[in-house]
Amino acid sequence: MQEEAVSVSELTYAIKGLLEEGIGDVVVVGELSNYKHHSSGHRYFTLKDSSSQIPCVMWRSRTLPFQPEDGMRVVVSGKLTVYGAQGKYQIDCVSMQREGVGDLYVAFEKLKRELAERGFFDPVHKQRLPVMPKRVGIATSSTGAALRDMLTTIERRFPAMHVILRPTLVQGEGSGIDIARAIRDLDACGVDVIIVGRGGGSIEDLWAFNTREVAEAIYECSTPIISAVGHETDVTIADFVADVRAATPTAAAELVTSTTLADLMYSLDLTTDRMTSSLADHVERLSEMAAAFTDGRALRRLRERVEIRQARINDLSSRSLRSITTTIQLRRQQLESVAALCKTLHPLAPLGRGYAVVELNGKPLALQQSLQPGDIVQVRRQTETSTVIVQSTTPTNELDTP
Amino acid sequence: MSKQKPTAAPSLEEQLKRLEEISVLLDRGDLPLDEQLKIYEEGMKLAQECRTYLEQAQLVIQKLGGSPS
Repeated sequence: MQEEAVSVSELTYAIKGLLEEGIGDVVVVGELSNYKHHSSGHRYFTLKDSSSQIPCVMWRSRTLPFQPEDGMRVVVSGKLTVYGAQGKYQIDCVSMQREGVGDLYVAFEKLKRELAERGFFDPVHKQRLPVMPKRVGIATSSTGAALRDMLTTIERRFPAMHVILRPTLVQGEGSGIDIARAIRDLDACGVDVIIVGRGGGSIEDLWAFNTREVAEAIYECSTPIISAVGHETDVTIADFVADVRAATPTAAAELVTSTTLADLMYSLDLTTDRMTSSLADHVERLSEMAAAFTDGRALRRLRERVEIRQARINDLSSRSLRSITTTIQLRRQQLESVAALCKTLHPLAPLGRGYAVVELNGKPLALQQSLQPGDIVQVRRQTETSTVIVQSTTPTNELDTP
Repeated sequence: MSKQKPTAAPSLEEQLKRLEEISVLLDRGDLPLDEQLKIYEEGMKLAQECRTYLEQAQLVIQKLGGSPS
């Protein structure tokens, strides 16, 4: 006996009726795989669990609140349909959400909108972080890796820090309230900057940082405050309200040690070097002024000496104060001897030693000038001046001249 | 931990600020030599104090009462 054969289309039509009417609307949880966002804008993927899989399509017109990735656990809602042309059934997805996230996501968006309207995120409220804080308040779990990372980073970069730790719950029942209280405690105890945060985790783990209590505590905090929650990709309400959002707790620790100990040591060295060379420059200027009184050779020698001394000053370690003091004293003695030399060069200086100056017509007699009998000259000595009539003049024996 | 009140000694910031002032004064070079020598010595002493402070500095961690977690 042979049954009457049906066409493929007829059978497919029957299947379609059974599935689309018998099953119809579905809400399915599973793991995303083979996700493809086609250039047409439609998305094709497979939903699977350990033993089965089912093809899915989500048309361009449907909105997606997140970026799907293979391996994600998701919940889709849609309708089971049969695609006769390829002989397969699939879910025509109307919406898709990460499993367990749907409600949280809605709550997050709602609070974010409300706080934005209240001005919690306005740039005008953002405070600048101190350049060189000495007291840092940290609100986080005292047992988490986040705290360890922050302390290690701070100690490595600027060990002269005073850390005030306010241990908090960072997830679970009451954690939001505890974090809020911790922020207020730290704000009240006079720190320069506050870090509030925790290490990475699921969105549920991080949820305390999406609560109204924490947002308000951060907003009301008068100390500059950094949020450091989870990893780079995690964004929480706390991040929007805080003065600065750090991608990770370690990054927050780097922000509060933006001036490192090594930076400070280096700038100390620069400053003392600059002081030494400023002073040396000044001394050199004084020496040059003194040297200008003497002839070129003396000036050159003095310059050389100054340069030698200057090189020494520059080489001096900042610890040897005494040497530079000595150098200055030396230079001062040089100044005094130059001044003494200037004195001896004065034309009237020899009078002090008993010599006399002969003047004719009120001017000192020049070397080439000859006196004739009858000339009247002035003989000027240290204590008196005489008027003298020349009786005779003879050439001086050359051997007597110096 | 202990409540360490800072002593009357000037803070690191104050010392660094004074050091910068001295550096600027010496750079201008319009003070009498004696005066310059005096502030130079003061500056060198300050710098040394800062270095010693920084070299010996150790991370202080103080715990505020809170959740035991």
